[in-house]
Amino acid sequence: MSLSKRRGRLNQGPASQTILVVGGGIAGITAAVEAAETGYAVILLEKSPALGGRVASLNRYFPKLCHPSCGLEINYQRIRNNPSIKVITMARVESLNGQVGDYQVSVKTRPRFVNEKCTACGDCAKASKVKVSNPFNHGMDSVSAAYLPHEHAYPQRYVIAPEVIGSPDAEKIRDACGYGAVDLEETETVFDLKVGAVIWATGWKPYDATRITPYSYDASPDIINNLEMERLAAHDGPTGGKILRPSNGKPAKRVALIQCAGSRDTNHLPYCSRICCLASMKHAVYVREQYPDAAIDIYYIDIRAHDKLEAFYQRVSADPQINFVKSKPGHIELEDDGTPVICGEDTLSREIYARPYDLVVLALGMEPTALSDTTSVQMGNRDDYGFIVPLPGDEPGMSAAGVSGGPLDVSMSVQSATAAALRAIQAIRTVSPGASTG
Amino acid sequence: MATPLPDSSQKYDLGFARWVYENVKGGDQLSMCMQCGACSGSCPIGTDMDHGPRKLIMMIRAGMKDTVLRSNTLWNCTSCYRCTVRCPRGIPVTSIVQGLAAKAVSLGYADEVVTSRFARSFWWSVTHFGRTDERLVTAKFYFSFGLAEGIKRGLGNLKIALDLILKGRMHLGLPHKVSDTGGLQAILEKAAEIEARDQLGEDKS
Repeated sequence: MSLSKRRGRLNQGPASQTILVVGGGIAGITAAVEAAETGYAVILLEKSPALGGRVASLNRYFPKLCHPSCGLEINYQRIRNNPSIKVITMARVESLNGQVGDYQVSVKTRPRFVNEKCTACGDCAKASKVKVSNPFNHGMDSVSAAYLPHEHAYPQRYVIAPEVIGSPDAEKIRDACGYGAVDLEETETVFDLKVGAVIWATGWKPYDATRITPYSYDASPDIINNLEMERLAAHDGPTGGKILRPSNGKPAKRVALIQCAGSRDTNHLPYCSRICCLASMKHAVYVREQYPDAAIDIYYIDIRAHDKLEAFYQRVSADPQINFVKSKPGHIELEDDGTPVICGEDTLSREIYARPYDLVVLALGMEPTALSDTTSVQMGNRDDYGFIVPLPGDEPGMSAAGVSGGPLDVSMSVQSATAAALRAIQAIRTVSPGASTG
Repeated sequence: MATPLPDSSQKYDLGFARWVYENVKGGDQLSMCMQCGACSGSCPIGTDMDHGPRKLIMMIRAGMKDTVLRSNTLWNCTSCYRCTVRCPRGIPVTSIVQGLAAKAVSLGYADEVVTSRFARSFWWSVTHFGRTDERLVTAKFYFSFGLAEGIKRGLGNLKIALDLILKGRMHLGLPHKVSDTGGLQAILEKAAEIEARDQLGEDKS
């Protein structure tokens, strides 16, 4: 190829080389920084007020039991120090058209009512008398209507709950701000972006536990899900990190962890969600660390601790106070005082049991958020369960990172996100002049 | 093609699972079972079963033909369908259990199971009156153990019977009947005819 032809091709290359990452959880953050650190411009969209996604709400990671805030903080530094990443929070993709090298994306943002002048001093939160359900703690406690999403939130900027807008409380919040950061007039905005490739990092949500009717999730406050357990054990959670029974605030020492609640079940999610076995073993460790006399039962079909994670299983199963019961419980009944009683068959001993517990944790399956959140937007081929799984020959400009492509743990999500960043870069670089102009 | 019924002289007959697969309604779903225990754990009378559905399926796979066909699990099932509804693999557990009960009758295993005698008494009442008469069903069941045993068991329940009568929960007259007993017989004859035809069809295939 002659030099002049080469120049011509470069001149007629993709209309945009910007990479759009949708979703600011661990996968989206990773894909964004990896792509940006190779020199590409990246726009990172997040639907909630802060980055971090599910990982930010975890108390600790398995198997090393280290704190997610540490790894997230490193990534936030990478974002802060990189001028080619633009983060847009409270934003969703409304529509998407075009092809690789030339996508037109319409984005809609919700109002935060707080602008970039915010110093996160917290005066607004003190001024507000209205409390709203705390989404970070899954509604297990409440926060002031002017709140910081959580202590490690990026960006460190307050949010005002839309419920109080128009009330006298909103005026109090505005007047309390010494920096002119509260803007009660802020409205929804819609704008267009032009990008060359899209990475979907839309993540997951827990399966709706109320649909597993035999497990009585909505009948007892002492039957919680695995994400609520993370908050219950976290120092910035509703109980300050003490694992207490939600019904009466007493220590939860007799704890049951039920695996495959909504997973591997043709009545619910037919697939294995991959993380729950390890997550539940981690929960058992949380309880044991707090209460030396605790007794924990893990109800399982089979333990799926793959590769190096087997070592964590060995460690947990060596604890005489953590008991593994090979049984998928039939149902949970409630005693007159509300104590949950798990009923089922121990498949190794054939004992038909009915055992009372202080706290029951359902290890809920992972459902792709993309399934319900952005159904109208073309995101590439979905498998039977709604995960984005591109087929050979599909539109190369779109790829999936993290759990949007299938159930993964954090480390595998990070690997998948790095791969997605590479695919996006490859897609942009291989755009020929013909393809980019239609 | 139907496999012949395996030889019962062996305790473990590896052809039994194949036979159930081909001859029992729902049996072709046996291979889906992952032995999670949701069926046995959900069973409202699980503690009154010798094996329960999960172990029954495991024994079918292991080829324990005699143990399976003699199991009281086949007869204690109340057809509440909880196991079928909750099975995470969509196995029609109730159908398999009931299908095996029917096979246990036709192969002569059923009489060894006490509960199957109760099923026969129940069937007798339904086919004669179109209704279940608790007194006659109970009496017929008790006397199936012999005259002396029947009287003994009957007297043992005397207090319960008197209490039921005093509370108006047991009537004393003739058994209740459906008005059209001729119609009932016609239905039963037709059902027998269909069953015989289906059986013939299965044998031919």
